[in-house]
Amino acid sequence: MTTQRKARWPHRALMLLLMIYLLLPLLGTFLYGFAKEWQTTILPQGWTLEWVAGMFQDVRFLEALWTSLYLCLISVGLSLAVMLPAVFVITVYLPKWESFMKGLVVLPYAVPGVVAAVGLIRTYSSGPIDLAGTAYLLIGAYFVVILPYMYQGIRNSLLTVSAVELLHAAELLGAKRMRAFLTVILPNIWPGIMISTLLSFSVLFGEFVLTNMLVGGHILTIQVYLYQRVAESGHLASAIAITYFIFILAISTVWMKLGKKFNGEVRG
Amino acid sequence: MNASYLELQGIRKLFGDQPVLNDVDLTIREGELVTLLGPSGCGKSTLLRCIAGLTELDGGRIRLGQQDLSNLPPRNREVGMVFQSYALFPNLTVADNIEYGLKMRGVAKKERMLRCEELLALVDLEDKRGAYPQHLSGGQQQRVALARSLAVQPKLLLLDEPLSALDAKIRKNLRTEIRQIQKRLKMTTIFVTHDQEEALTLSDRICIMNHGRIVQDGSPESIYSAPRTEFVARFIGSYNVLSRAEASRLFGEGIGQADSFALRPESVKLLMDRSDAEELAAAPANASKRTIEGTIDSIHILGNVIRYFVDAAGIRLTIDRLNDGRSLRANDQSGVRLVLDPSQLLQLEKEGA
Repeated sequence: MTTQRKARWPHRALMLLLMIYLLLPLLGTFLYGFAKEWQTTILPQGWTLEWVAGMFQDVRFLEALWTSLYLCLISVGLSLAVMLPAVFVITVYLPKWESFMKGLVVLPYAVPGVVAAVGLIRTYSSGPIDLAGTAYLLIGAYFVVILPYMYQGIRNSLLTVSAVELLHAAELLGAKRMRAFLTVILPNIWPGIMISTLLSFSVLFGEFVLTNMLVGGHILTIQVYLYQRVAESGHLASAIAITYFIFILAISTVWMKLGKKFNGEVRG
Repeated sequence: MNASYLELQGIRKLFGDQPVLNDVDLTIREGELVTLLGPSGCGKSTLLRCIAGLTELDGGRIRLGQQDLSNLPPRNREVGMVFQSYALFPNLTVADNIEYGLKMRGVAKKERMLRCEELLALVDLEDKRGAYPQHLSGGQQQRVALARSLAVQPKLLLLDEPLSALDAKIRKNLRTEIRQIQKRLKMTTIFVTHDQEEALTLSDRICIMNHGRIVQDGSPESIYSAPRTEFVARFIGSYNVLSRAEASRLFGEGIGQADSFALRPESVKLLMDRSDAEELAAAPANASKRTIEGTIDSIHILGNVIRYFVDAAGIRLTIDRLNDGRSLRANDQSGVRLVLDPSQLLQLEKEGA
């Protein structure tokens, strides 16, 4: 008992430090968003809702939030629709292609965002496909950005549940491939897929460099909006950042709850 | 009944340019339990997967009953399979797992439930019908897997090392259970294992495989008492495998033409004390036997059998003796006399012959 307690003390201290490190900036931002005057004191000298109210009075803020939301949802949905069958086929039927895929999915990291953006603009601003500044170009780019998360997430889920064996077992019991996939593979990899999609969604929601360069003048996402208003007032920017953070937190919570509910129904 | 129920003809399979199965021929009668026994990498599991249709053939034909399976997809082969890793569906309960195959075949719910209850009773898991696989022990999971594959009444049951992930005691119980169920249902079964004890206790017939070939095929008794090659002799038991020179040092001249010989460990008698020697002298049939001197190197107690490792004429021999309570006298390194019976010396064929 005593040894256990001794062993746990440093662990707790470490966790506490980590939490402070991670949460203190968030807390500071939060306070700054509601502070009236905060110059020479440790804590703000007064409080105000001025910044938050100003933010919600600006139609562009809600529009930007909505734009970000649907662009990210479409991109993640599209990625799921393409990657789920693709990764399944590669993992189960074409394992020889895996090394090729592994190389492919890290490419988005090998190319710096700025280079990728300039390349995309040059390619699609003229010629047969003119997409410059449109949401199509952005969704295409987003698809590439989240490729690694989706690929790894789906692949790991498939390997964890030994999808190949489950599929063989189902087929020998008389199931057609599609039916086998829907009845024994999908329900088992679903929790893993939920996590991948959530991660991808958050990454896209916070994406700025690529978005600003590709469609900065045409489409106002929440990040682009934030960038435009940072110069105006730090307080306002803090309020926007915090609202955006709470928004993401809420979406994540709902999504995880949904995943748990589904999983709970499945496993009793 | 048709003499051959399952017939494999010239089965060939290559992985890359490496042959894994080399013209395997095998016929199995209805209701027979045949074991494919061999070291890992001998192709036994691949052969099983070829029969199930999970691996494509590079040559040969498979016939089950009146039907040629070679080009049928797995779902139409009416072959059941139990995997080493159980492969139960984690999102379904025990009952749903068992009913899965029936559901895929469009059997009505009421009939499915009846059949499921029957099978739960067969594998003795009636109280687990609502449990999920991850809440069952390994042995229980494997019984569910067995019930699941039997539910659709397959024409042939394939068991791919079904017991190797279980611990020794459960393994022994479950293997008896599998044999009983197989006999009761008269289910034609192919059992893959690398454990020769498992093969000897379970099977109607054993096929020993090595390098993608069946090297010997026969009843457990004949396989054990008359191994054909050195590989089988080494694999099936703790046979003493002797070169021609070694055999003639022990047995003298006139031992036959073979290049190598096998000697069963229980066919050599150890003379431990006076009563052993008197017994030997009294029996007239022992005239042809030879007695030589040896030194006990070490002793292993296997339970009902005691295994002695003895050096005699520069050869290390394994000798088994029933543990009858008085045998354990000898210390390590003590001298001992061995009685050898030339009629027990088996001639082995050359490998690959």
